[in-house]
Amino acid sequence: MSEEKLKVGFYGITGCAGCLLSFIFNEDELLDLVKLVDLKAFPFVKEVNPSDSFDYVFVEGLVASNEDLKVLKELRENSKFLVSLGACASTGCVPAYRHYTLKENYEHLLYKKIKELEDVNPTPVDMHVKVDYYIPGCPPSKEEIKTFIKKIVRGLQPKPNDNPVCVECRRNGNECLLEHGKPCLGPITAGGCNSVCINGGFECWGCRGPTTDMNLDLMIKILKSKGFDDKFIQDRLTTFAGLKLPMLEKIMKK
Amino acid sequence: METLLLEKKDYEAFITALINWCEVISPVKKEVVRFKKIKNPSDVYLGKNSFFPVKEFFFRKKETIFKFKNNKISIPKLESPKRIFFGLRKCDLNAISHQDKVFMETVKDPYYISQRKNSYLIGYHCNEAPSKYCFCESMRLKDFFDLMLYDKHKDFFLVEVGSEKGKTLAKKFGKYLKRTDNKVSLEEKKIPGADRLPDSNIKDLYDNPGWQEGVDKCLSCTACTALCPTCYCFDLKDEVKARNLSEGERVRNWSSCQLKEFTMVAGSHVFREKREERFKHRIYHQLDYFREKYDVDLCTGCGRCIEGCPTRIDFVDIINRMKQDKAKQ
Repeated sequence: MSEEKLKVGFYGITGCAGCLLSFIFNEDELLDLVKLVDLKAFPFVKEVNPSDSFDYVFVEGLVASNEDLKVLKELRENSKFLVSLGACASTGCVPAYRHYTLKENYEHLLYKKIKELEDVNPTPVDMHVKVDYYIPGCPPSKEEIKTFIKKIVRGLQPKPNDNPVCVECRRNGNECLLEHGKPCLGPITAGGCNSVCINGGFECWGCRGPTTDMNLDLMIKILKSKGFDDKFIQDRLTTFAGLKLPMLEKIMKK
Repeated sequence: METLLLEKKDYEAFITALINWCEVISPVKKEVVRFKKIKNPSDVYLGKNSFFPVKEFFFRKKETIFKFKNNKISIPKLESPKRIFFGLRKCDLNAISHQDKVFMETVKDPYYISQRKNSYLIGYHCNEAPSKYCFCESMRLKDFFDLMLYDKHKDFFLVEVGSEKGKTLAKKFGKYLKRTDNKVSLEEKKIPGADRLPDSNIKDLYDNPGWQEGVDKCLSCTACTALCPTCYCFDLKDEVKARNLSEGERVRNWSSCQLKEFTMVAGSHVFREKREERFKHRIYHQLDYFREKYDVDLCTGCGRCIEGCPTRIDFVDIINRMKQDKAKQ
């Protein structure tokens, strides 16, 4: 570990800033965490934000305007490692759901009223620049952001959680919501959230994106066998992770 | 083995006496049946076995192995609570004996031992298979308990004493556990309806295509290993403090052979990359590999991995079918 602190930046493009807040919600260790790095830029909370060079830059939100793209490309150029923070940046999340709706269904609501607004297809950051690490989730777990920072300052490589949500859910002693007829996506969704939704009785919507090991084909079969129709399944699967399920159309036709 | 008699009219008073002596954990019926600390005799539920296994009280879900601070290591103070586990079925008692082999004989795991050593095990014998997935009779289980209640008579339980700890309990609660000339016959120890795996030898089935139907129905969700009363695999992880990166703790968590991460080594190489390999590994560990080392099958036939599987993969059916197909050839 070198003496010099890692130069770090936290940036948001189009998003709700919830992921940035998730970092700040680490109240118990926040002041210590900030001291571990040279927090050069964090426009959400800081006034002066030099952005010439970073070791790590965390980007929240997705590309929904030409301005977003310009900012993102600059950040990529000025950083050694770019971290995709949260579901919008990583999978496209709810904004990217627009890919699955027809233009005439939404344009009259806003884009036809305000001519200056550009209608750019919302897309996750890795469709535009290279991403080195992902911290997925809507919002990402504050623990995971904390652990990530502790790893990089020790020169360790953070490892994404590729285990399904079910692993933590079973450990937490929950009953399986699929058994209760709820369309829970836990079995195909990457864990790391401590199964927070299921602990509270809500089924998993897949906000952390798919695991590399998912059995999507079987997941869809299960949902169909529980009585959910194709439209419902397609909607549910695409709400958070649609753009990361490229084989979806092929499987739905089966 | 000494046999005693507990009159059913004394049953509630007996449980109350246990509760007054120490913490009592037994199956409790909420939405599902699970092991919980009880306050009253009426909390005990014996209608069905617990959906969740009892192992979490000994092999805990999360265990701090040690704490470290600037190169100094300290082991947390290990408590050994005196507890009675009441209403354990034969499968779960045998499962404890198998985990004892792993954590108390092969290795002396202080965390497991501390949770286990002051625990008393009181069984409740199944009169018939409590679930259609049970197959304990096929697993050649042993008598392993401190006390075992047999519910074969209208007015009384017969209680077998199976260990020194059992003798202690019999003496301590002699007011309720009375002398008798009755014995539990071998016939009465059989559990009807729990013998659906007539031949559990799967040595020559590894490459059989019959496994595929199970693999295709597997989500690798790890329900089977979490609900299994014998599965004991774990993961170790260091957690450090932000105020001092040389301070923190090493924790042990339950893990599962169904995960790719479980066999991931340096350089991100995964030994059991394919779902098929992981699927078979669990069943082979339960019915083959463990036997090679300990001369007993790890699986005790409780059927939880089937009942709790979201797609009800029944490996007993799969094995039986493969055997039948082989016999036909």
